[in-house]
Amino acid sequence: MKVLLVEDDTALAQALGEALGEAGLLWEHAETGHAADYLVRVESYDAVILDLGLPDGDGTRWLAAWREDGIDLPVLVLTARERWSDKAAGFSAGADDYVTKPFETAEVLFRLRALVRRSHGHAHPILRLGELALDTHTGSVTLAGRPITLTAQESRLLAYLLHAAPRIVSRIELSEHVYDRDHEPDSNVIDVQVSRLRRKLGNQRIVTLRGQGYRLVAPEDE
Amino acid sequence: MRRRPWRQRLARTSIRARLLIASLLLVMVALPLAGTGLAYNFRDSVTTAFDDRLESLLNVLLAGVQVDAQNEELHMTRSLGDPRFERVFSGWYWQVSDDDGQTLTSRSLWDQRLPIDNATGVAVSEVEGPRGDTLRVVERDIRLPGHAETLHVSVAASREELDTEVARFEWLLGLSLLALGALLLVGLAVQIRWGLAPLRRMHTNLRAVESGDADSLETHFLPDELARLARAMNGVLERDRRLIERGRNAAGNLAHALKTPVSVLTTLAERFPPDTRDRLRGELGRIDDAVRHHLARASAAGGVVLAGKVDAAQTLAPVLEGLTRMGQRRGIQLTQSLADDLKVRMEAQDLQELVGNLLENALRWADSQVTVSLHPQAAGVELLIEDDGPGMSEEQRDAALARGSRLDERRSGSGLGLAIVEDLMTLYGGQLTLSRASLGGLAAHVWLPASPVAPSGIES
Repeated sequence: MKVLLVEDDTALAQALGEALGEAGLLWEHAETGHAADYLVRVESYDAVILDLGLPDGDGTRWLAAWREDGIDLPVLVLTARERWSDKAAGFSAGADDYVTKPFETAEVLFRLRALVRRSHGHAHPILRLGELALDTHTGSVTLAGRPITLTAQESRLLAYLLHAAPRIVSRIELSEHVYDRDHEPDSNVIDVQVSRLRRKLGNQRIVTLRGQGYRLVAPEDE
Repeated sequence: MRRRPWRQRLARTSIRARLLIASLLLVMVALPLAGTGLAYNFRDSVTTAFDDRLESLLNVLLAGVQVDAQNEELHMTRSLGDPRFERVFSGWYWQVSDDDGQTLTSRSLWDQRLPIDNATGVAVSEVEGPRGDTLRVVERDIRLPGHAETLHVSVAASREELDTEVARFEWLLGLSLLALGALLLVGLAVQIRWGLAPLRRMHTNLRAVESGDADSLETHFLPDELARLARAMNGVLERDRRLIERGRNAAGNLAHALKTPVSVLTTLAERFPPDTRDRLRGELGRIDDAVRHHLARASAAGGVVLAGKVDAAQTLAPVLEGLTRMGQRRGIQLTQSLADDLKVRMEAQDLQELVGNLLENALRWADSQVTVSLHPQAAGVELLIEDDGPGMSEEQRDAALARGSRLDERRSGSGLGLAIVEDLMTLYGGQLTLSRASLGGLAAHVWLPASPVAPSGIES
């Protein structure tokens, strides 16, 4: 899961970013509305954390522009403003949720995961596919009730496939959402990690469709 | 300090009473004085006229007195023409006498005699008449050729006629003055009422400002003196508003400035070992609570006393629009039913806060539907927000209403929503009750009074 963090306060961005990273999320940082606008239009993110008090204009202005242009990714607003008229302006601009400062990282993560889950059409916090289950709150994966140990990278890969299932996910999409922009993998790296996942989950769960990508499925006997 | 109740009472006498008492005193002093003066002058001029008449009768009498050349006897050669001189004790008399004992009298005097005053010239005096009445006598002493003695000639008439006339005049005068006095008092009362009408209007106006029906005092339809006063009062009201606004802004800016660093510290605290982390979090929580508390108090300052009435639909439009949009993105339908032209006596911001917090809670818990309605009810307005979520048990509802509690740490966000609503209820004298919704989830009922109540939630 890849998140764009738009926050002009570097100390806060740093602290929050580290917390996001520890929770297994990929994150990129934009300090201004302009930078965020560029990144949102060029890169692929699963969600945006948007601070409303930006140096180059109110966050709601940028948000409204994105919505107008059909950019529909989930946006979690961070605001120090508690007045309802301000919050309402955020929602009117197209925010999906908000967290008021000061916040706890757990709260931000919880809201963020819920937003991403909902954007993929999942209402329940535990995603299941056959006997495979992912608790989106804790990030823990179980297979038929037994916990599976995964590396951070494997977790992200599986989580993305599970969120997207039963859709086919292309390699490009995977590299955009699951890997850091500075360390973009060649297709070989993805293949290697997918085969590691197969070893841990069983061969039939990840189907490779040549020329199209990957797809997570439940074996027919489950 | 020595108390002076009478001075206090005097100082607190109403303007109407002051004006009424002053005019009453004026009428009660001026009219009797005028009456006395008039009566005195009238009596004087009537008496003079009476005396003039007697004197002219005296002249006629003088012209009629003759002395017999042989025996020096006195004769009266002509009548005075008034039959009252012939009727016995009619009150009109004349008498001619000399010092020798000769006396001529009118028949009316019969055997009585008028006393003789030895003054020279014309003398006017009052004596007791034959019937015990008071006579006014005009007497003149003359000497006639052919008569050695001085003749004392007098004409007298009873004062009764004069007194009757004066009494009649005084009665009429008294009556007229009473009527005049009554008329004046009525006129003064009307004048006072008319004169004080602008003050009453201003008072009504001020009450309207107090109850929030008006923002400031109207100054166009007031007399100049009061218009100046009203403008000055508007200035004070405006200054108060500005001060409150400035305080609010200062508190808001401070809160704003503190929130980001507190967020940073909260996030960083998570990296410490558990006991240090918990202590840090506790202290950061205290900073946050203090900021919120004082921000809320700054918002509330003057909010109730000077709260105007706001149009509910207009005030809530941005909040409802925002929440409808959020609901749409979450697949929840928000149905609203607001009474037209509904005015709520609340600060716009507080009304938004109230509805926003309750609706936000409802939207968090709802499965697919939330309804909000606002209608006039029982000397106030009723707000009802329902959702089709899981709802709450009775114990949960009680716990939720306990101040500042968190219903579900993860789902209800900061948990401050209901606490803020409770604060607003205390501030505006409203009531919040939670019950089971007809949609299946939670129903939040809020009743807000239409008229101001004394704020009980703000300590000094």
